[in-house]
Amino acid sequence: MVRMGELAASAVAGDVLVSLGLGSCIGLAVLDRRVGVAGLAHVVLPDSGGHGPQRSYKFADVAVPELIDRVVAHGGRRPLLDAVLVGGASMFAVTSAALEVGQRNEAAVRDQLAKAGVPVRAAETGGGRGRTIRVHVGASRITVREAGGVEREMQ
Amino acid sequence: MTQYTDLQLDALRELANVGSGTASTALSSMLGRSVDISVPHAYVLPMADAVAEVGDPEADATGVVLGVVGDMGASVLLLFSPSDAAQMCALLGVEAGTEIGDSALMEIGNIMGASYLTALGMMTGMALEPTPPAAATDMLAAIVETVLAERAGAGDIALLLDSQLAVEGSDASVSFLLVPDAGGVDQLLARLGL
Repeated sequence: MVRMGELAASAVAGDVLVSLGLGSCIGLAVLDRRVGVAGLAHVVLPDSGGHGPQRSYKFADVAVPELIDRVVAHGGRRPLLDAVLVGGASMFAVTSAALEVGQRNEAAVRDQLAKAGVPVRAAETGGGRGRTIRVHVGASRITVREAGGVEREMQ
Repeated sequence: MTQYTDLQLDALRELANVGSGTASTALSSMLGRSVDISVPHAYVLPMADAVAEVGDPEADATGVVLGVVGDMGASVLLLFSPSDAAQMCALLGVEAGTEIGDSALMEIGNIMGASYLTALGMMTGMALEPTPPAAATDMLAAIVETVLAERAGAGDIALLLDSQLAVEGSDASVSFLLVPDAGGVDQLLARLGL
């Protein structure tokens, strides 16, 4: 279980990394599909603004590099990594900029991935529905379920 | 992790108690029925734990959120289970899950939120104003984390003041949460001289 502001990586086939009910947050999976290593981060906000040295994985600018490092530490090969993004919804239909955290999160995560040279292979982002992401380590399968929907495989 | 003393938590609970008491009176006059309130909980939790404290992350829920502006930034969040939403709408003579149903729930949020904030403002001497409500029906965790994300800022700690209100003569209840900005809790406590 990867909760708000947490991240995890695994090389154990059969492990499932899960973030339940992502709203404006982003579930970011980073995988080396050949060796079956995967990691998942639950990113809450786009930018730490350099707030303190504390290692808070809430923020995209801290979480993304750390997640990539963890996946590499578990045996993932940096040039062969790819990423899958889920979440970043606008849950409440209002135009207040403060509530558009979802879009800003997605942009920040993509920006960090580009800096690290990790391509985005698939994304289920935006819209107005919450989502659950499951990352099946080993099989390198990722499933997503929207609120009120069925679980689907992401390619 | 920031720790609050028992005295401070008691004071926060008391604020929530008076606030939700006022909100329940408002709900009661809207529905024409009496409304019971439970003793509120004050949770001070790492953000990661806060979502699970509210309920099953993947359960369906309708959330009505109001922003709070003025001397303290915060969000007011009302949570209805599908059956709560259906019964609450039935009491108001509208159908849940429709546009008019959502708008009825938002009106409940509006009226309860405004009276809660008025009571909170009177007790603390703060000027607090609600912003217009918005509603979403979705996974509980998606609703709660979106509100927490907006209020979290740099802090990793969430304060939830949680009151349950139950409508007499029906099974309808609503969960009423106040989620202050990271610095808002200290501000509340400072106003109370704690």
